[in-house]
Amino acid sequence: MSPFRARARAEIEAGPPAATLSPILRKLVADSRDQLSTASPSDARARAQAARAYAVDHLDELQEQLKESCARQGIGYHRAATAEEAVALVTQLLGDARRIAKSKSMVAEEVGLTHALRVRGKEVLETDIGEYIVDIEGRGPSHITAPALHLNRARIRELLAGAGEDVPDDDPVRLSRAVRDVVAEFFGEVDAGITGANAVIANSGRIVIVENEGNVSLGVSRPRLHIAITGMEKVVADEEAALAVLQVLAPSATAQPLTAYTHFLGAPDEGQERHLVVVDNGRSEILADERYRDVLRCIRCGACMNACPVYTAAGGLSYGSPYMGPIGAVVSPLLWRDGRHADLPSASSLCGRCSEVCPVGIPLHRMLLDLRAGEAENGGSRVEKVAWKSWAAAFAGRQGRAASWLARLGLRAGGRLPGLPISGSRPIPAANPPRDPAMLVPLDSIEPEPERAGEPLPEDVVSAFRERASVVGAVVVDEAEREDGDRRVRATAAVASTGSVLLAGEAAARGALMDARRIVVEVDEASVVRFPQELGPALAGDGDALILTGASRTADIEKQIVRGIHGPQALVVVVGSGTAQA
Amino acid sequence: MAKVALFVPCYMAALRPDDGGHARRVLERLGDEVQTILGPCCGQPAFNSGYRSEAKSVGRALLRAARGHETIVVPSGSCASMVKHYLPGLWAGPRGASIERMSERFVEFGAYVAAHPNVAALPLRLPGAVTYHDSCHGRRELGLTEGAVGLLEQVEGLDVRRLAYEDECCGFGGTFTVKEPEVSVAMARAKLEDVASRGVRVLVSGDLSCLAHLEATARATDQSLETWTLAELLDRALA
Repeated sequence: MSPFRARARAEIEAGPPAATLSPILRKLVADSRDQLSTASPSDARARAQAARAYAVDHLDELQEQLKESCARQGIGYHRAATAEEAVALVTQLLGDARRIAKSKSMVAEEVGLTHALRVRGKEVLETDIGEYIVDIEGRGPSHITAPALHLNRARIRELLAGAGEDVPDDDPVRLSRAVRDVVAEFFGEVDAGITGANAVIANSGRIVIVENEGNVSLGVSRPRLHIAITGMEKVVADEEAALAVLQVLAPSATAQPLTAYTHFLGAPDEGQERHLVVVDNGRSEILADERYRDVLRCIRCGACMNACPVYTAAGGLSYGSPYMGPIGAVVSPLLWRDGRHADLPSASSLCGRCSEVCPVGIPLHRMLLDLRAGEAENGGSRVEKVAWKSWAAAFAGRQGRAASWLARLGLRAGGRLPGLPISGSRPIPAANPPRDPAMLVPLDSIEPEPERAGEPLPEDVVSAFRERASVVGAVVVDEAEREDGDRRVRATAAVASTGSVLLAGEAAARGALMDARRIVVEVDEASVVRFPQELGPALAGDGDALILTGASRTADIEKQIVRGIHGPQALVVVVGSGTAQA
Repeated sequence: MAKVALFVPCYMAALRPDDGGHARRVLERLGDEVQTILGPCCGQPAFNSGYRSEAKSVGRALLRAARGHETIVVPSGSCASMVKHYLPGLWAGPRGASIERMSERFVEFGAYVAAHPNVAALPLRLPGAVTYHDSCHGRRELGLTEGAVGLLEQVEGLDVRRLAYEDECCGFGGTFTVKEPEVSVAMARAKLEDVASRGVRVLVSGDLSCLAHLEATARATDQSLETWTLAELLDRALA
């Protein structure tokens, strides 16, 4: 029995993962589809695909450029060839830093960073709510963007109680805030912040990070040292390419137009140090292989696992890899060449839904086929080889009289399911079953499914902006009274389709922002653009910038949205014409 | 009157041989002259398992059997997709190109019927209610769904109830169900719940492989269900 099968069987026997996952993921897939069709231009996926394909095809060149840009920004640029080197580099950069606030990073999971640093005596806190919860549980994340997706609220309450955080009930708001408070307290005294990166921009050296909770905002601003760790494929050519990626990332991942915070981090603040650790760890080998190089386009949105019926049935932990679902079944055996994940390409019915939803056009199910062929050639069991040879001889030789054993074998094998409500063998259906006319009579009438149609974006960008900003949770007003604890800034631009505001330079300073009770952003009607991809001119240069889309939030517990995590609890947007606001 | 070959795939020949007869009768009612190619395999089971040279030798035997036919009708989206999208790739260079041209003569049964010039004249009538499921290959690689549903909707008296999650896989996946039976059956059960929620007990599909998997799972869980291929439904609606 393959390791995947053994794990999946145990998961299904313990309580089918689909019971928790199926309703959540079905809704997420439908919402993502709506989000992409109503909040993005029709060519959003093509643009993202082109931006990522260009990056993969010019990877070495872009890394060289990135290195120079980082030097200009005063960001330390470091390359790590292996997981061990990455850990050693981060350890060295941390120096005597003791308390470390870590936010979500798939590469950090891949190289085992948190564990390695703890072994070296560092006090590392996972500051993302979902990561914090799975860290207590100790089985690792089950989804790349929603680490605790496999846990229901009752189980999360138990886990928190075990860690000394008693929450009176299992309300996701209270559970999320309990973790928020632990994290906020940790940030009171912290030496270093470690984050991932969703993109790094070659021509400006900006590090792009998306987040919803505000823990990244704290992690890159409170401590004197910020280290971003990222896979070498995450580089993009320029701001336009980064925007093309962002335009599909959150819609595909969480069905949001953009995440609450989208950081474009430039030079470190006065007295602060910033480093970028670029990890290879097997990616060069993937890049050199025509069959698989396009998998490096991946932006880690998780849309493929959201849409995957195997993932839904088996749960993310069954994959036994930091990368699960279809993308995990492709990259895990390519990143770990020791055969530990060689069975994962078989953990797919090849339905192709992953390739269909992938926003950067990775032909995942075709790569799974190539990986299976590679495994059959180089590994594979001797028994299976012999079986296929005799099968081929039967079919290729005696036309029309070939055995039906394969068909029967499939249904028989599928029938041995100990521990499930289905026990014993599944019966093989009768060859030409008698038909009962009564079966055609319906049992009940059904209500037609309500049509799902997202509201189209209003033509006028200012009214569209007002509408969408409210949808994402901002308070939209024509003027705002000054209140204590306000942080009042002026937006450089705003985006209608996502309801976002762009802050640049001093306005983006995260220290002041995170200390505020509410943030009041003045938006000049003339600065509103329709889609994120039009923010290029407003992002000219290489300075610090921040896109805000609603106030902070989390959906780490059963995907239920809880607003107001770290930092300002409200985002107020004051819309006016330029002169009226002086 | 068009001359066509009807390729009855190994799975159908083994599991439900009458379905080849249903398909044949529908084609004949359309006015075609039908010659049956019974029982070869497109090579997909080996191909999907990574055994490409075995898939190639089996696929070659199918192509040889189909030689000389201008149109080869396949009552399976899955097999048709294998022949059209994957088989030619097993040959390199000019041989691959010639096999690709040959593969273009293969057409899935529902798509062939839906596009047939005489289809509108078929007297289709069957009172009752059914739901429809597509194989993933038929849906995603060949885009067959709307054609097949259109045919069902042409049947007088038939209430065609679409599944709520019709683009989800049934969990069969060929050798997937052998290698990962627990997950495969969990997927089938999700599909069967969707079928039950439609209030119907007859499930129609262009692919017998999905149906056999779902029917076996329904039996094991005591769900009352008949599974009909599209060919069977059309044939019964003509009777």
